[in-house]
Amino acid sequence: MIVSPSSSSSSSAKTKKAMKKPGLGDQEETKWRTAAQQRIYGRRLIDALRATAPSGPQAVKEAADSALALTARGQSRWSRAILLSRRRPSCKFLLKARRGRMQPKPPPPVLKLGAPASPEGKKVSERLRLLGRLVPGCRKLSAPSLLEEAADYMVALEMQVKTMRALADALSGASLNAAEHAVSDE
Amino acid sequence: MEPPRSSGVGIDNSGEYSPEIAETLRFEEEIQSLIHPSSFDGSAAPTGGGSFTALLGLPANQAVELLHDSGAREPLASRIRVGGHPVHRPFHLPLDCSSAFPSNATLVDRAARFSVFAAEGSPASSSGRLKAEPQDSDSPPLDPIPTGPAKRKDTGRSKCDVRLSLSFKSQAKATAKKSKNAEENTDGDKLPYVHVRARRGQATDNHSLAERARREKINVRMKLLQELVPGCSKITGTALVLDEIINHVQTLQRQVEFLSMRLAAVNPRIDFSSLDSYLSAECGPVTVRNGPGGVVVDPSLWPTDATAEATRRLLVPQFWHIDLVPPQLQPQQSLTTWERDGAAHSQLLPNPTTSLFLYDPANSGNANVPHLTAKLKTAEDRALNL
Repeated sequence: MIVSPSSSSSSSAKTKKAMKKPGLGDQEETKWRTAAQQRIYGRRLIDALRATAPSGPQAVKEAADSALALTARGQSRWSRAILLSRRRPSCKFLLKARRGRMQPKPPPPVLKLGAPASPEGKKVSERLRLLGRLVPGCRKLSAPSLLEEAADYMVALEMQVKTMRALADALSGASLNAAEHAVSDE
Repeated sequence: MEPPRSSGVGIDNSGEYSPEIAETLRFEEEIQSLIHPSSFDGSAAPTGGGSFTALLGLPANQAVELLHDSGAREPLASRIRVGGHPVHRPFHLPLDCSSAFPSNATLVDRAARFSVFAAEGSPASSSGRLKAEPQDSDSPPLDPIPTGPAKRKDTGRSKCDVRLSLSFKSQAKATAKKSKNAEENTDGDKLPYVHVRARRGQATDNHSLAERARREKINVRMKLLQELVPGCSKITGTALVLDEIINHVQTLQRQVEFLSMRLAAVNPRIDFSSLDSYLSAECGPVTVRNGPGGVVVDPSLWPTDATAEATRRLLVPQFWHIDLVPPQLQPQQSLTTWERDGAAHSQLLPNPTTSLFLYDPANSGNANVPHLTAKLKTAEDRALNL
């Protein structure tokens, strides 16, 4: 993780650093919750927003998701799925990704639980399937990996929401300011 | 069958009787044969046939059950002895065995647990000491009850067998169920070889071990998710927790959609130039009023940030092709230094339509972009601090 060396950013990093949770997801959560990540993502988002001549909220959302996936650095399945679904003209990169990273294991088994016979087990497997549909690129994934991906995705989404909200507030504030200044200048 | 083993165990005296006893151990037939003490030697029945009848008479049912699966042969008989001390003697059927059955059962258990079965090393020794013996635990579960005794003779004897055969049966159902499911699970995640000590009362064959390890993994991850989702720790039950998780993910995605709508609404008003001006305004409110050239940016940041950017780009794998599309800055009312720099970069080809992120390392604008991003970053910091 590259942290910008500016002094102001370091102070903000201290204030914004989230508590580290011990356990399996420790690395993922701290990875997503540091202020550095937010900055990186925000930067990417702004660049993306600039790039898309505003064509509507869907483009903005796609841009935001792509930026988020980029920030993940391709270490999670959902991020790879997002990026690879956006980039159409890059078949060869798709192949490279698939060979390199997408399938470290043989074709993932169809989701099955230990005891699907019981009605509760059926509910659980249904829900797991639903969760797999929600998280991009995780439709056919085994239960433990799916849960892991879901955890990572959830933390990333939280960071995305936080950043976008701050950006939207800032921008709306800026537009207000600009309007005021324009009015006042006149 | 079992006679050699059983004789080797410790009931030496009864070794002679074991063959006859072995055959006679079918339910009522066993009891019938026991009635005839003539099949045994003199020492076999010091109490005579009376004890046998007593054995039979009183709790004929109990006797049947006791002799049920296994060799409740002479060990059983020997343990039924009154006096409460485990004596490995053949067919000393106690006179008051009738009343002594229950207590003798405990004695038998104790004795069996510590002596015979320990020696035999059968899984029947104690459920608490179940080290994974796949063969022993696998074979019994698959046998239907009638043939149980045949197997049980091999594996152990006396009342412990009875109890353990019952437990085997319960385990059988469990393991049968689990083995069915274990096949589809064992090809799941590849774990390093896990050494697990089976807990009391749990099956120890490979399938259940793998199943248990798998469940442990899933439970750990579920717990993690529970911590992530607010208010999920109180909920018990996998289905409900999953419900909450799904709900939360959907909520977050919806929020992203709303925020993107907000940003889309804000964007055209902002006219990225004024975005720059706003961000520069964050650096110093004076800049906007001062018009062009009012941005106070620390130039010392540039080289360091350039290196940071460069290293960051180096880390990006080559095939990612992330493109930081150069800013399209339309000259607007107030041109800040950013925009002036941006105008210089206008040589970079804007690609808004094709793909959002196409990183082109060969792009000549690379050297310049870091400056822009540096400025953006410092201003953004303040913006994000809101």
